[in-house]
Amino acid sequence: MFLEIKQLSKSFQNDLIVDRLSLSLDQYRTLSILGKSGCGKTTLLKLIAGLETADQGSIRVNGEDMTGKTPAERKIVYLYQEDLLFPHLTVRGNIGFGLKLQKIPASDIKEQVDLMIQRLELQGQGDKMPHQLSGGQRQRVSFGRAIITNPRLLLLDEPFGSLDVGTRQRMQELFKELTALYGITSLFVTHDLKEAILMGDDIGLMKKGSLQVYLDKQDFLLDPLTGVRSEIEFWESLLKPNY
Amino acid sequence: MNKLKYLALLVLGLGILFPFTYLVLLSFSGEWFFPEVLPGYFGLKNWKEILNSESGMGLSFISSLGISLLVATLGTGTGFIWSKSIAYHSQKETWLVLAYFPYMLSPVVLAACLNFFFLKSGLSGTWQGVVLGQYLVAFPYSVIFFQAFWNHRTRQFEQLVLTLGGSSRQAFVQVILPLAKGMILVCFFQTFLISWFEYGLTALVGVGKVQTLTVKVFLYIKEANFYYGAIACCFLVWPPVLLLYLNKRFVYNRLV
Repeated sequence: MFLEIKQLSKSFQNDLIVDRLSLSLDQYRTLSILGKSGCGKTTLLKLIAGLETADQGSIRVNGEDMTGKTPAERKIVYLYQEDLLFPHLTVRGNIGFGLKLQKIPASDIKEQVDLMIQRLELQGQGDKMPHQLSGGQRQRVSFGRAIITNPRLLLLDEPFGSLDVGTRQRMQELFKELTALYGITSLFVTHDLKEAILMGDDIGLMKKGSLQVYLDKQDFLLDPLTGVRSEIEFWESLLKPNY
Repeated sequence: MNKLKYLALLVLGLGILFPFTYLVLLSFSGEWFFPEVLPGYFGLKNWKEILNSESGMGLSFISSLGISLLVATLGTGTGFIWSKSIAYHSQKETWLVLAYFPYMLSPVVLAACLNFFFLKSGLSGTWQGVVLGQYLVAFPYSVIFFQAFWNHRTRQFEQLVLTLGGSSRQAFVQVILPLAKGMILVCFFQTFLISWFEYGLTALVGVGKVQTLTVKVFLYIKEANFYYGAIACCFLVWPPVLLLYLNKRFVYNRLV
């Protein structure tokens, strides 16, 4: 398994946020994690990224133990719900930021950034500042900035939460295209049922710090705890005639 | 209604400008005794006298400028770094109450309380002592000022840089400093003003040996030499006015 988490726990002031959580994920796959606010999704991602320290348990990526490694050493990029574009840098500067940190030659950075701008469908926007972009464009830049660094694992914390329905749908498609193209392994956290089903190759449900990963999507759809059944019943009730 | 508004604004504008203009006029005046409406003399005599004599006005100006630049640089720099540690500390509120302490006491009372230590350490009557005394006021101001900067979003930016493969130093230099640039300039300006206009603490720690412009102004006023006092005030007031203009023109307008 590419990603293996075993018995991971984390408490904040006696509140158990992540409770002996275990999961495994193959390379180049996306695991979507569905969960309500406060269920521990964000804490789980921060533990994997090395932004929080686990009380117990282990995280292994490609067989390598992540314990004690700094976020930079892990090569795991964490994407927030907000795009967090650096306001003092252009689109080009933002996308190439991670490469610049790695001290890659400027000519190589330019080449890679130009290609990424094309793939993000942001031609002609490269020299704009973040405040000149729409919400969807900003989120695309944010994606590009993460993917261009070729992370071992990409962690997405409700990345489309602030987008309108149309933009959200386009971003979901773009995300799938790019992760397939760059061979990205990712954890996609969302509280949106439809998005969780659409985005994940595998799917899990997080509740009170515990995660249940389903065998397949059918298994997920049949579990009454996921809310799929009640959602289907709701839409069916609307379609039924009143007599 | 519009005329009334215009008139009110005009009166307000004149009210603000009057003290500055009056200072300049007074510095060129002489033999102005009550109940005369206009001065008996108006010319360059006072300025020539003060610039040609050994009044030490030039030295006071340079002392004030040097001390204020040093206090502003040290206060802003160290305050920025420490404010981060305090903002993310579990006992943040306690540290902030301590930061307000010099202002609850007032700087001159603080200096009186610490005077013994200044005397014992040999800093009393030296410019280093004055810088240290003023720094004790400017530093907590800077710490309080930057609390607004170290928010949840700034922390997210730092964490993002770390996960993108950067070090804490790279996050600080390449993201945090550019983000804070405007606030740093404003804080530098404010701490410069705190130091520039400081009198009580400077007089107490400097014991008359460190003659900044504020000390000079009060000296002339005590001597009832209003014309020289006005010249000293011109030196004191106009540089900050210029800084205020530059601050508004190049910094504040970019922040809002």
